[in-house]
Amino acid sequence: MRAVRQWVTSIVLTTASVGVAPQVLAQSSAATDNSISDTSSLEARVDALDQQIRVLERLRALAVDSAAAAAKTRQSATANAKDGFSLKSADGQYSLKLRGYAQADGRFFASDAVAAIPDNFLLRRARPILEVTVGQYFGFRIMPDFGNGQTALLDAYWEGKFDPAFSVRAGKFKPPIGFERLQSATDISFGERGLPTNLAPSRDIGLQIAGEASGVFEYQVGIFNGATDLASADGDLNDSKDLAARVFVQPIRGGALQGLGLGLSGSTGVEQGNATATDLSGYRSASQQTFFRYRTDAVAPENTVIAEGRRSRLSPHAYLGLGSFGLLGEYIVNRQEVRRAGSVATLTHTAWQASGSFFLTGEYAGFRSPTPRKPFDLTAGTFGAIELAARYGELDIDDEAFPLFANSASASTKARGLGLGVNWHLNKQIKVLLSYEHTTFDGGAATGDRASEDFVVTRFQHAF
Amino acid sequence: MRGIPTTMRNRLLASGALIATLAAATADAAAQGAPKPVNLLNVSYDPTRELYEELNHEFIRYWKGKTGQDVRIRQSHGGSGKQGRSVIDGLQADVVTLAVAYDIDQIAEKGRLIAADWQGRLADNSSPYTSTIVLLVRKGNPKGIKDWGDLVKPGVSVITPNPKTSGGARWNYLAAWAWALRQPGGNDATAKAFVARLYKNVPVLDAGARGSTTTFVERGIGDVLLAWENEALLAIKEMGPGKLEIVAPSVSILAEPPVSVVDRVARKRGTQPVAEAYLRYLYTEVGQEIAAKNFYRPRLASVAAKYESQFPKLTLVTVDGVFGGWRKAQAAHFADGASFDQIYQPGR
Repeated sequence: MRAVRQWVTSIVLTTASVGVAPQVLAQSSAATDNSISDTSSLEARVDALDQQIRVLERLRALAVDSAAAAAKTRQSATANAKDGFSLKSADGQYSLKLRGYAQADGRFFASDAVAAIPDNFLLRRARPILEVTVGQYFGFRIMPDFGNGQTALLDAYWEGKFDPAFSVRAGKFKPPIGFERLQSATDISFGERGLPTNLAPSRDIGLQIAGEASGVFEYQVGIFNGATDLASADGDLNDSKDLAARVFVQPIRGGALQGLGLGLSGSTGVEQGNATATDLSGYRSASQQTFFRYRTDAVAPENTVIAEGRRSRLSPHAYLGLGSFGLLGEYIVNRQEVRRAGSVATLTHTAWQASGSFFLTGEYAGFRSPTPRKPFDLTAGTFGAIELAARYGELDIDDEAFPLFANSASASTKARGLGLGVNWHLNKQIKVLLSYEHTTFDGGAATGDRASEDFVVTRFQHAF
Repeated sequence: MRGIPTTMRNRLLASGALIATLAAATADAAAQGAPKPVNLLNVSYDPTRELYEELNHEFIRYWKGKTGQDVRIRQSHGGSGKQGRSVIDGLQADVVTLAVAYDIDQIAEKGRLIAADWQGRLADNSSPYTSTIVLLVRKGNPKGIKDWGDLVKPGVSVITPNPKTSGGARWNYLAAWAWALRQPGGNDATAKAFVARLYKNVPVLDAGARGSTTTFVERGIGDVLLAWENEALLAIKEMGPGKLEIVAPSVSILAEPPVSVVDRVARKRGTQPVAEAYLRYLYTEVGQEIAAKNFYRPRLASVAAKYESQFPKLTLVTVDGVFGGWRKAQAAHFADGASFDQIYQPGR
């Protein structure tokens, strides 16, 4: 340090000496005292400047330390498309996110010969979502639904994410069965999910481990109460629990087929219904009209059909994203042991669907809705993304169900649904949906087939 | 569970019971053998690193010999006020060894982690060693600094840490104030004016005492360092003779750094016996010797006599005597809006 100062001083003095050498040589010896004085003054000034530089450097270092320390404790409040509204600690380990979505529908029945079904406006879904992260690994999520004028708790679970390959979730959530069911309601291309969703539960309570590896492989394995088809269950009717699992692979890296994903999911468990809670469900068409239900008998409860025995589901499924074209396919087989009075049977229902969507505006058609390339902006003259969608699916009820377990005069043996849709994604948050569904049935009427349905949904969706 | 056959369920239950019994028996056997190793965290102030490194080494040997138990002691150092706030905010300290009693009072009051009567639990107000504040200058004392009054002269650059974060800095501040009070006509107003002039000569406020020592000794900033006596003596030892000199002011302050077990943390972690023994060890002859060797003034008379020559003779005032205790001193001088905030304006 002192050496540096002496070095700087000597440079200054040398420079000064060279610059003034002729004059110095011309001076008389009487000027010697003045020169010594000048030298001392220069050295003092260099020392002072040296101190100032050191102080400035230290102040700068302290300011950097201070800013870094402040950043560690500074919370951030953000509002963006990805996280909704959020509060987050500086280290990101604690966060609170408020998200949600609402879907306001206009539903119109072009032909409703089966029953007088009123056209109506409907608040289909209204779901605030609260997500909290506590510490490095743990978080929880709560999502109620106030749609249809009712209150239901759909998601309420705790999750520990210890590694991308290993997380643990406990509470109420979607079990890993039913491919389209696993797709968020904000991402589906039609007003309602397709016919195969009838054969899988909506929500169940249980414990699940899950993980993924490099985006190539993912898995979920869990133990659940064992909710019946379409149900969002909050309890169980017996001691037995269901095991559910799913694997999904995206085997091709690069090339045209890199968006190909193949999956297999299944569940199994033993169920026990009773006359008041049968543990069985009816099935619905796209318009949410029930076209199949098991027999019930309020007068002689023993004649009500109940689940009794093993229920198993198996569902191969696939997704292919080819640029702006996306294709989803799923098949599900649902095998259920049932009893009515002294009669038992194992009924096997199957359903499948294939649906495709295409973005006219060039966005990638993935499993989740894309962000429009050019979001709606009047000043910029951009209007968002346009998606065309079509699907076909069938649900086939086991013939063994008739006539003992279901009444063919009111329950159909098969439904076939054709859907067409056009969706306008104004931006990441807002979507306007128009879909048309034509559904035909085998049986289900006193004479012949239940009348076909022609059903139009318009929807305004806001998700944040 | 209807899904699992009864015989299999019974086997599972029997297996579980057997495993639990074996585990309990193994744990019990282990417990009856060697005591389980224990970890201690000592949260301390800035200049005590060397003291506790040496003390920990000796205590670990002592405790192992006495109880057979292995102890691992971790140290955390920083400005005393900042360290105290970290403990209140959740730093799991088993013991705190801080620069001023007020910082431990805060842990007791705001954190509710220490019993309110903590200061009476150990001898000498729970201060096993003392120190004071001296002036450290460069060799030859180029600015001719002899006492506090010289620190306010134009051109004298004074290095001291920030009283908001450093306990040592608060001792520095109070020592200067106490000196000013003892000058002819001295009162709170003249003392405040004097300290204000002193801080006008402070170009940099580090967060802790060790940071200020580094600023003065290694970065070469400033003409005089207001330093803990132990820190000044250590700096001279580390730098070698001939580079720094201690100037003993005419008056300084008796600094009594206190220690305490953090009761709630120690109880929760099961470390209370070893934590208490660790602090009591500071009062033993071995502990006092280590303190003295690290330039802290020992309490034990025999050790104090042995090391008497290494400490300059000073007139020392106390916080209680001049300022009415740490609570009053804190409120009058270091609380938000108090005298330090009034006199110190960064960058001016």
